[in-house]
Amino acid sequence: MIRFVDVKKTYLNGVQALKGINLEIHDGEFVAIIGLSGAGKSTLLRSINKMIDITEGELYIDDVEISSIKGKELRMLRRSIGMIFQSFNLVRRMSVFNNVISGRVAYHSTFKTLIGRFPAQEKILALESLEAMGILDKAFARADQLSGGQQQRVALARALTQQPKLILADEPVASLDPITTIQVMDDFAKINKEFGITIIANMHHVDLALKYANRIIGVKDGLVVFDGKSTDITEDILVNIYGRTLKHDEVLGE
Amino acid sequence: MTRFTLTSGKVIVKPFNKIWIVLFVILIIVVVLGQYIYFPEYLTLAEIWPFLKKMFSPRNDIFGHRTWGDYFNYIFTIIPYYLLKTIKMSIGGTVIGSAIALPFSVLAAKNVFKNKWITSPFRFIMNIIRTIPAAVMVIVAVFIVGTGNLAGIIGFSLFSFGIMAKMLYEVIETSDMNSFEALESTGANKTQAFRYALLPQIFPIFISYLIYVFEINIRASALLAFVGVESIGSIIQVGLDGGDFDYIGGVVIVLTFVIIIIQLFSNWIRGKLQ
Repeated sequence: MIRFVDVKKTYLNGVQALKGINLEIHDGEFVAIIGLSGAGKSTLLRSINKMIDITEGELYIDDVEISSIKGKELRMLRRSIGMIFQSFNLVRRMSVFNNVISGRVAYHSTFKTLIGRFPAQEKILALESLEAMGILDKAFARADQLSGGQQQRVALARALTQQPKLILADEPVASLDPITTIQVMDDFAKINKEFGITIIANMHHVDLALKYANRIIGVKDGLVVFDGKSTDITEDILVNIYGRTLKHDEVLGE
Repeated sequence: MTRFTLTSGKVIVKPFNKIWIVLFVILIIVVVLGQYIYFPEYLTLAEIWPFLKKMFSPRNDIFGHRTWGDYFNYIFTIIPYYLLKTIKMSIGGTVIGSAIALPFSVLAAKNVFKNKWITSPFRFIMNIIRTIPAAVMVIVAVFIVGTGNLAGIIGFSLFSFGIMAKMLYEVIETSDMNSFEALESTGANKTQAFRYALLPQIFPIFISYLIYVFEINIRASALLAFVGVESIGSIIQVGLDGGDFDYIGGVVIVLTFVIIIIQLFSNWIRGKLQ
């Protein structure tokens, strides 16, 4: 369970990205965060695995306050959280398999990982993650030979190989075409249901967020302005979150 | 300074880039100083030709009578002996220097360590070492360990370190940091993130620099002889002392082939690593 208690974040340049967030996210939820760009979605998401440090308030993960942890404790926390990025963030010239197994490095000592050998059961785990994402046949191709959708699946397989309890996704489909977008979102749904992994995703396309997530969090100007079931969203609520009606690029429109 | 007036009436001023002023001043200084640089007037092409002939044919005057047979014998037996010694020292120096340069270059890379207090001292050390001429390093090494191969290896290690560390941290700073961020998000520490996100990216460049530094070392090895370490330079030294320019010509021929072979090898391995 993740609990935000009056979380604030002010960047060094004075920009206040989060202005007092109070949230509770339970295990197994599929949460979509929506809002204008610059509303604080990314900051909110990245504060959970401390890729960004909050400046005020308390943030609990499984009842452990994380804003002050660092070093080994921090790495152990990050190890239990997968992260998916808009631009996939794979090592493009490395094989798919090596990209996926790199999700395991935090489980080993630095010295062991420098040599680059992993136990057999972890190699099998990596291959099984690829299998779950349906790209096992690409395992030994170079990552940059794959299409965008396939690369995002490799990134998902890397996250699965971490055996996380939670996956954070920062605009996971924003650089994909409509068809692969649906496929990747289906993969997210599968991970959520079959593996029981909590998913928190920043979504640019509102209709996708409504279709796939059970819960929607609307962020506006560093504050949560809506928090509820995706079925409860109305036109008025969206106008409130976005301050205007949606632009056509904010809906995928199947 | 350039001004743009838009149709809306807004005026946008593109700031003048000061670098051009700096470069212009440097250019003026170089031109002015150039007036005082002395070029010997007697060195004409007509003077160079007989000298080249002395280098690339066997010596035949009152101090030495040699045949083409002697010349080729020299190229195929004596020079390779010294060449092998040189290559051994160069490989040793290149490998040791580059291996030490790798962690240093990571510690000096501003995209890996955002903190200036970490990168600056390492950059400082690297700059100091790079400033010391290779000749001085070798002389110091000879003082410490004597005139054996070890002196050459130590000298070359420091020399290789200087070049390699600088080139590497610049490559690291231009690599794609997205994968590094992804690795850090999985809980990897900086060393692990470097190993799995950056090293695969810089590896082909690292290898190609390694071969390049090795090549520089082979050429620089000529100076080792002048501080007493046996190398390909020993032949040049003997040739200069006795006026045996055909020895020097032989060294030039052999080195040319060696450098070409290294280049071909470098191209081949880079093609394999792409």
